[in-house]
Amino acid sequence: MTSMEMAGFPILSAILMTTVFGLLAIIFIPAERTKLIKQVSLGFATLGLVLCIWLYFAYDHQRGGLQFVERVLWVKSLGIYWFNAVDGINLPMLLLTAVVLFTGIWTMWELENRVKEFFALVFLLVAGVYGVFMSMDLFWIFVWYDVSLFPMYPLIAIWGGTRKEYGAMKLTLYLLAGSALILPAILYLWAQGGANTFDLFELQRIGFSAFDQKLTFVMLYLGFGILAAVWPFHTWSPVGHVAAPTAVSMIHAGVLMKLGAYGILRIAMTLCPEGTAYWSNLMAFLACVGIVYGALVGLAQTDLKYVIGYSSVSHMGIVGLGLATMTVGGINGAVFQMFAHGIMTALFFSSVGYIYDRTHTKIIPELGGLSKTMPIASSFFIIAALAGIGVPLMASFWAELLVFIAAVQVFPVGGVLALAGLIVSALFMLRVVQKTFYGEKNPRWEHIPDVNPFMAVPRIILVSIIVFFGLFPKLMLDIIQGTVIPFASRF
Amino acid sequence: MNDFLLFLPEFSFIIAALVFFVFSLKKTSAPALFHGWALTLAGIGLVVTVAASHQEGMLFFDCYRVDLFSQIFKILLALGTVWVVFSSNELKGIDPRQHAEFYFLVFVCTLAMMMLVSAVELLTIYVSIELSSYSLYLLVSMRRNADQYVETGIKYFMIGVTASALMVFGISLLFGVTHTTYMAKLSETLPNVIRQPAAVIGLLLTLSGFFFKLALFPFHIWAPDVYQGAANQVTAYIATASKMAAAAMIIRFTGLSSAASPDLVKLLIGLSILSMSFGNLVAIIQKDIKRLLAYSSIAHAGYILIGILSMTGRGYASAIYYATAYLIMNYACFMVIMKIAGDGHNLQIKELAGLHKRSPLLALTLMLGLFGLAGIPPTAGFTGKFLVFAAALEKGYLFLVIIGMINATISLYYYLVVIKAAYLLKPVREYAAVPVDTWTRYLSIALIVLMIYLGIFPDQFVSLTEAAARTLF
Repeated sequence: MTSMEMAGFPILSAILMTTVFGLLAIIFIPAERTKLIKQVSLGFATLGLVLCIWLYFAYDHQRGGLQFVERVLWVKSLGIYWFNAVDGINLPMLLLTAVVLFTGIWTMWELENRVKEFFALVFLLVAGVYGVFMSMDLFWIFVWYDVSLFPMYPLIAIWGGTRKEYGAMKLTLYLLAGSALILPAILYLWAQGGANTFDLFELQRIGFSAFDQKLTFVMLYLGFGILAAVWPFHTWSPVGHVAAPTAVSMIHAGVLMKLGAYGILRIAMTLCPEGTAYWSNLMAFLACVGIVYGALVGLAQTDLKYVIGYSSVSHMGIVGLGLATMTVGGINGAVFQMFAHGIMTALFFSSVGYIYDRTHTKIIPELGGLSKTMPIASSFFIIAALAGIGVPLMASFWAELLVFIAAVQVFPVGGVLALAGLIVSALFMLRVVQKTFYGEKNPRWEHIPDVNPFMAVPRIILVSIIVFFGLFPKLMLDIIQGTVIPFASRF
Repeated sequence: MNDFLLFLPEFSFIIAALVFFVFSLKKTSAPALFHGWALTLAGIGLVVTVAASHQEGMLFFDCYRVDLFSQIFKILLALGTVWVVFSSNELKGIDPRQHAEFYFLVFVCTLAMMMLVSAVELLTIYVSIELSSYSLYLLVSMRRNADQYVETGIKYFMIGVTASALMVFGISLLFGVTHTTYMAKLSETLPNVIRQPAAVIGLLLTLSGFFFKLALFPFHIWAPDVYQGAANQVTAYIATASKMAAAAMIIRFTGLSSAASPDLVKLLIGLSILSMSFGNLVAIIQKDIKRLLAYSSIAHAGYILIGILSMTGRGYASAIYYATAYLIMNYACFMVIMKIAGDGHNLQIKELAGLHKRSPLLALTLMLGLFGLAGIPPTAGFTGKFLVFAAALEKGYLFLVIIGMINATISLYYYLVVIKAAYLLKPVREYAAVPVDTWTRYLSIALIVLMIYLGIFPDQFVSLTEAAARTLF
């Protein structure tokens, strides 16, 4: 490859720049003009969304492979490239990020406390997320990865709720401890590669010895696994989710946790196929434990956000299980599950956020009968819960189906156990729905108005995406599969 | 004439020192006038140093070498001096009658350190390091209410003298093994004898003089007390400019033993791990922000050493980059501290409460400086750590790098505690807004831009440091 390749307009950098310029624009608006800040934020988020949707349609899934490549030499002496590209794995993730950012900002329309700083930090965080998803250079992936992590601290500690400072500190330290494993692994691969390049695909061509692969795979797996809430490193996740404000929970559970799984897939599995094979039993074991454990602990929770937090642990376990199978079906399902779960969790937190903002409680026994007082708000949560259970016609149904078909074939015992975990999770979701939205009406909440049409828009968008890809999963799976088939052939 | 040009940066600081020597003879004191003069002279010094950056040559019977390596460090020294002088406009920590002496000693110390980074002969090095040390001993004990901090000056002096005694002993051992005090000859003969214990011990003892200046474990004991006990401006000077000279000398000396002795490397790895772990763990419990930065400086000495002990061109280049990044970030933190503690008292972390309302710009500068020290991208601090670790991994020190990264995570905790105070804590009592004059505003913005620019676009600067590292061999 030459040092410079630019295929036309750098659409990917443009998507990234919507967040950077959004951030700069917010910095220059006076803090008192909160309305303008919100409008500008939504404007830049919309721009990013439009570009991502355009990218989704412009990507040629017949051809597959890397498209919209931008590759410029960045630091000569280390072989760092500004290398962005999309394929079937990161395209759904970029789309997911844009949707969650857009709906998240809209959901926070009623924020009044330190508005400027909030939106500036959200844009910084999302810049990191976009960056990780589009970069194909290990240096930049790591840089963006860290950029996406540290705004979480102020976002949770300033605007958060329950035990916010504890949750924020725990989350930040856990996640950066993960990067303490990732950076040495990346640099080790760079040094062993010997070609003075951080380009992911050049490193893939060079290949590594079995020992190096086993060593770095486990470092990368554990490092990224912390962010993907792999059991037993998940404990930061429910605590962080509960503490975070609504939009941050949405972005965090919806997108940020996917960074972990994406990192495992994009870096660890790409560069260390032998390492993956060596450690796949461990991956499958931890994933299965995560699925069952998340479901069982979720059963015992009384706080709505904890319930969703533990269901996320369980659902991310499904992603991990799909990756561990190392088959086309399993990885397809894992990538699709990342997308579907992202949208679904965003909807979950968005609807809980509405309920919490009005009632100031998210303790399940204190709620009850909400479907009578606020039917629309309740319906959003119930749809998300149905998607979480994996009811047909929802996007996550197909994802979970693909993963479990592959898992039962590759890991018969673990796969069946995980399926049992899925039944438990159905049980606890239905229990939550029943206790919160049906049952006896709590007179305290009778005066609360239902979601107004303006605030319903972001939730409706999320619901329609879940249902749309539930009805037409092929539209997403074709894109994913085009990349996963050559990817999985290397195992 | 050409020789004169080579010596021009040092010469400009000699003039500056002489001007303040004359001022100090007068009985009256005019702090504002002195500050104006000092800033002008330091500014001229910086301009001259930058203009002389591409000079090359030897001086004084080959005792003194001017090359890209030395000139980069001279620029860093001059930059640090300008910044510290800039922040001395409210020099409340020092008696007004002593302001002329303060500037005099700062300029002498800068001069001494400039000579240090160019010196390539052991006795010249020793003389330069003593000149800079004695200026610092005086500067540290100049603080107002000296009786309160009297322990500081004595402690610094005692430990400093011990370190320089060790250093002279080391130099004599090196001379004994190699029969020369010229570093050019040392680098030829030393590899042949590096397996002899006397050579290794000699090199280590000589290095310990610089380890003392860099506050590397176990030569760190003075740092917390001196940081706390000296006036804020003096602390800032010690924490920024004087670290540069120490880093430069350790790089030069380690470069000598190019046929790396495995024992030396093992020892340096050990020192680096101890320094990082000790500094970071003890920093966690600090309440005084200068003490906290002192312990963090001990940890950072360990990170710089990681780059140096790889003993490759890339390793030395990464150490230069790291030192530069450290200078900028550390000064950014100290500038904010000096500004907030306008009356020159020791700032406690809890006094930062509500800073984001009292001065949003200073709060942002402090946050970026601390994130840089913690090694969070996209700041220069991250890129520095990245380069240092990359150099170490080229030599296969995976274990060392993992420990370094774990330490970076630990350090994030206490930096976050400070950031939390500035952005989250509600002040217990009302603090007045911090007045920020126009120049401070510009400097803050410049520091922020510099920290991020060096972090995101390191290409040119990395090439420069690599060119500088090549002049070492």
